Amino acid sequence: MNVSGMLYGAKLLKIVDFPVSEVLGPEASEHDIHNMIERCGSVFVKPIFRGGIGKKGKSGLIGRASDLKSALAEKERLYFAEYKVGGVMYKSQGVTFEGAVPAEHEIYFSISDSTRYRAPVMTLTHHGGMDIEELDKTQIIEVPFDPLTGLKSFIISNALSDLGAPREIVSPLVQHLPKLWDLFHHYGMSTMELNPIRMMEGKSGSLIPVACDFKCGFDRDDPRVNRLNLPVDLFVTEANDFEQEINELRTYQGQSDVYVINEKGTILAPTFGGGANSLVTEVLGNDAIISSDFGGNPPYEKMYEVMRICLKYYLKQSNVLFIIGGKANNTDIFVTFRAMADALRDYFSEHGPTPLYVVIGRGGPNVIRGMGVFKDVLDALRIPYKIFGFDSAMTDVVNFAQEADHWMKSGGRAEVAKVLGLPADA
Amino acid sequence: MRKPGIDNFKYFVGTRSLADIATREDRICVLNITGNESRAVTPVSHAYSGGNIVFGTSPGRRGQVVETPIGNIPVYNNVREGMEAGHKFNVGVVYLPPSAVRDGVAELIRINPDVEKVIILTEKTSVHDAREIRALGQQRGVDIFGANCLGVADSWTHVRIGGALGGDKPEETLRKGSIAIYSNSGNFTTTIANYLSIGGWGTTTLISSGKDVYINYATPEFAYGMANDARTKAAVMYCEPGGYYEEAVTFEKPVVACVVGRWKANLTRAVGHAGAIAGSGDDARAKEGWFMKKFGVTDLFTPENPVCSKLGAVVTNISHIPLALTAVMKLNGVKQDFPSEGNLELKPWFGDDQGLKLPPALNIPVVKALSPYDEQIAELSKHVGAIFPRQSMKDCSGSSVMDPKTQVTKVNNISILDTAKQPLESNLCMALVRELNDANDNVLFNIAVAARVNLHGEAMLAAADAAREAGNAPNTAISAAVALLGPKRVDGARNAADTLVELFAHSGLLTGDDEKAKITPATATPEQLATLLGKTPDAQAEAMLKAFDKRGAKSVFVRYLRSLKGHPTTDAVIAALTTTIAWEPLIRKRISKLTVRNLPWYTHLFSAIIGAAAEGKHHQPGKFCGISNEEMLESWTTTQLAYLSLLGERPTEASLFPFQVMLGLIISNGVGTISAQGCKGAVSADGPESPERVQINKGMIGFLTHTGFAHGGNGFEGIQFLIESFSKTPLTDASVSNHGLDLRAMATEFAVAFNKEKKAGKALGLPVRNIPGVNHPVFKGHPVNKDPREVYIADLFAERGEKNIFHDYYRTLVQALYDNGVTNNVFCVNIDAIIAAMLLKLLWSRYRKGEFSESSMEMAAFTAFLFGRMAGCAGEIDDHINRGRNMDTRTPASQCNHVS
Repeated sequence: MNVSGMLYGAKLLKIVDFPVSEVLGPEASEHDIHNMIERCGSVFVKPIFRGGIGKKGKSGLIGRASDLKSALAEKERLYFAEYKVGGVMYKSQGVTFEGAVPAEHEIYFSISDSTRYRAPVMTLTHHGGMDIEELDKTQIIEVPFDPLTGLKSFIISNALSDLGAPREIVSPLVQHLPKLWDLFHHYGMSTMELNPIRMMEGKSGSLIPVACDFKCGFDRDDPRVNRLNLPVDLFVTEANDFEQEINELRTYQGQSDVYVINEKGTILAPTFGGGANSLVTEVLGNDAIISSDFGGNPPYEKMYEVMRICLKYYLKQSNVLFIIGGKANNTDIFVTFRAMADALRDYFSEHGPTPLYVVIGRGGPNVIRGMGVFKDVLDALRIPYKIFGFDSAMTDVVNFAQEADHWMKSGGRAEVAKVLGLPADA
Repeated sequence: MRKPGIDNFKYFVGTRSLADIATREDRICVLNITGNESRAVTPVSHAYSGGNIVFGTSPGRRGQVVETPIGNIPVYNNVREGMEAGHKFNVGVVYLPPSAVRDGVAELIRINPDVEKVIILTEKTSVHDAREIRALGQQRGVDIFGANCLGVADSWTHVRIGGALGGDKPEETLRKGSIAIYSNSGNFTTTIANYLSIGGWGTTTLISSGKDVYINYATPEFAYGMANDARTKAAVMYCEPGGYYEEAVTFEKPVVACVVGRWKANLTRAVGHAGAIAGSGDDARAKEGWFMKKFGVTDLFTPENPVCSKLGAVVTNISHIPLALTAVMKLNGVKQDFPSEGNLELKPWFGDDQGLKLPPALNIPVVKALSPYDEQIAELSKHVGAIFPRQSMKDCSGSSVMDPKTQVTKVNNISILDTAKQPLESNLCMALVRELNDANDNVLFNIAVAARVNLHGEAMLAAADAAREAGNAPNTAISAAVALLGPKRVDGARNAADTLVELFAHSGLLTGDDEKAKITPATATPEQLATLLGKTPDAQAEAMLKAFDKRGAKSVFVRYLRSLKGHPTTDAVIAALTTTIAWEPLIRKRISKLTVRNLPWYTHLFSAIIGAAAEGKHHQPGKFCGISNEEMLESWTTTQLAYLSLLGERPTEASLFPFQVMLGLIISNGVGTISAQGCKGAVSADGPESPERVQINKGMIGFLTHTGFAHGGNGFEGIQFLIESFSKTPLTDASVSNHGLDLRAMATEFAVAFNKEKKAGKALGLPVRNIPGVNHPVFKGHPVNKDPREVYIADLFAERGEKNIFHDYYRTLVQALYDNGVTNNVFCVNIDAIIAAMLLKLLWSRYRKGEFSESSMEMAAFTAFLFGRMAGCAGEIDDHINRGRNMDTRTPASQCNHVS
């Protein structure tokens, strides 16, 4: 759940009265753009990528224009720009026009939680406007502070003294930067970065910090985010339909975390426990369709729904249904397995059979009753299967599931189809 | 005031040694002790630890207790009350929901200055709250574990605090030994302990740290505690990517570090553990590097390449932990704690290749599970049928569910739009055996119902007639009859069903109608035979068997009865018929043995309800409503019998279909309906935990008495409205398309008049009357509104080319109401309108001829509802008997209101 850019950044910063550069959205009229150029001298044209995507400037994805014609040309160039980060291709959904802010000083400011200090930390430098990684460590300061009292003016003041910052920027920053803690802490943010904050000369000659770019991440477990009334589809591109549907079941009782690894994978692996999730994701790699954690003792209804959705989206393409977890502490295996087995049975009733090999590995409370329920359903559906106890190494069970997938790919699927009375290419 | 901490740390740490993490002296207070997770885990922890929980809190539940095997734990509204009652504690355990965790921690440490440790189990605590919790703990000098952890345990002292480490049998996994475990994963804490014990290593202290962004008891504290714990000779650490907790730690004792999550670098957000998402410098590879540097090794440890030093080893596969530990400890001259207990090779406990030829890697034989699981598997294989876990079934059903968006109910996952296409006999069975009948099942069930629908000479009929004469509605009259069909009347058939199940349970029989199956039932004992055979021929049984042959039915159990060469009783034949239908779902564990045992009772009740709905004069010796018993047995369906009872005439194919659709549509409207609540309350009051004591006939009375003129009888309002609209027309047949009526003109006339009435009423402040069958609280607000159930039925009849003028009128009317400004948009025609239209169409010509009065019409509409709904309610009754707890439908006094 990330937001980047000034389109929403400006709206968020205004909540705490932090000065921001002028910004127009993709719907801006030529008249508005022209006026902005008149007022500010020039405008930056930036593509709108949903999510927290950085380093756009380096990739030539920021345009600057001093006249309307150039601004519109940049708009045309960047409106549907594409940008690859890691393995993911992001597509722009319009552009923003941001009024240029003349300034001598550019500030970098961020707040995040540090696992080194186990406290929130402020990172600050007056050599902003560039990648912070490129600066010398002496030019940056990182200060942990107490979340119960918050980011106070004296912390900023001390930090700027330690940095040896020019005296003219100290007072305005000491006045304005503490406001950002209120925005960060009271609206469910987990990270916030302003780079650059440009120190613009005000009417009285004193400097005003003006945020010219904004990035933040939200904590999806924090209901305070709802206070911002952000549009519901702002984060949608980060999840596909399947993840979206599962996320709707996200309650504190029982996990329902999923991440689609490979839409074309062939092993559907509902996984129980954060540890098992790491291990299974590690070993299966791209063979897995999803990475998931459904542990935490989910009740029957939730488990049934989670499984129903998993099957609805991905069973047809799956060679192996692989249900895996360690020796559960408090997850009732009978309840969770009954729910999953019922969902599988209902899927077969509704959509007809599909060739499948089932591999299960699990331990925990009521494990035999749970395995027994699954066994009965698999027998009734005539699906080949192996169910392992917790005395089999979990990684070997994962390898076994992969082996089953290989066999299914090399003719096994057709053989299972035959047993189920289906055509060989089912 | 902050307590003094250990000097070695710049921040507060209070626990000096791992031996002090979970001690016999610790006394515990559990917040939200009655929450779902705590209710299951806390009693096990308490008993395992010798009773270390002094009290728990749950606002509004003061005075309650949490039962444990070694005594009850008292519950208070809050920590202050518990302390005022004299309890003292030094450890707080938090099971609160995420939004309450921070406040819970504040309550613990501000109310009780003696708190030393707080353990937070809750997942999904926001980072905002985690920040403040960390600061609170530091400010007050309290060691915090978690959040999102599974607590701590000590295998030496037999103490576990907080979560469920070791599961429901901690002693099985928490074996005393010399290895401490620190794990980011709660599940892996137990799994690693389990793997270690298989490899010959026991444990000292086990810590599930949690893996949120904030880890309060982290690696540096663990390393320090380990150094000061004489019992601990080495540690196993399980770490995931994200966070710098492990970077600058120095260990004084050997450690096997398992770092899992290289692949996670491809993910852009955390799955499962919120903190397991890395930046550039704290991913899995970086962490592997930190540990390798500490241990002075250059590579990961694998069985093929066992790289390790005296200081430790790094693995990326948890299965390699025991081997790596043994190798590291060998370099330190330390032997295993006890001999290895097996290995971690693949051992399938269950498996079936379905006759496929699998490659050798997959063709691993099923092995006997380790004890005590092998005995459990043996027991499981002996058991026939499903066992449902018991729980409170108040407002809860395993039988029906209504989709709040579409208002379409599903019974056993079958939509009422599909049950509308099924005959009544199939729906009645489906509600109980959870699957629709095939043709043979229908035949068997029809025989069983037809055998008892004629109540001539039965006290039940006299009771129903007497109730009718006293002015009661059909539901009350039928209840009088049903009251007489108590358990003693059906014990014979129930015992016969038990006998059949016992004899065939392990025969390998998969379907009840597979007469060609080569199976051998167990040999019946004389007692079992007595439940099936009588001393003299039983005329009713013989008539049923004759009908069975005539209809060409199949049943392994009927064949078995005949093979006994005695005189099968009526009870035995009924049991054979119903058990045949139930056999496949029983063997596949969809239903319980209890349901199969009670199926003859339900069947008898259905017969009685259909029979008693017709007045006494229609029950004659050998005849019901003019149809001979023999004919009913040999050729009638249950749907036809219901039609006959209700309308007193033989149905035609054309008249039966809409009747069947109507009954199928109303079998259930979800567990919240009054009728479902009534029958469930009756079961709950008898106590389903002793299922033999539940009077199923009383459950049916609960359903019947929870219907009435408002619930069940309201279909008549629609009929009344239609009669008003059509009484002045010359209409004689509602199924013809050339009826000659101008429905649009009629609807417009009504709409205009209604508008006037509405306006006049408004001026006087009178309430506006509703038009029955129009509008729905869910299907509204669009320019044109449709009840999907109505649309479905309209399409169904259109497909068959069947007309219903009343239904057409309703559709015309909602448009006319809009066109004439009565409604703001086009209201939907609802399901009540459909029922009224279908029933009135069946009765219209007889009504016109004066053969059917308006009051009989009202009774018929009500009774039709009972016939349909008895299926859904039978399902609810059976479901509640199988899953419910005694008195579980009661509402706590705290949730009841008083008005004066």
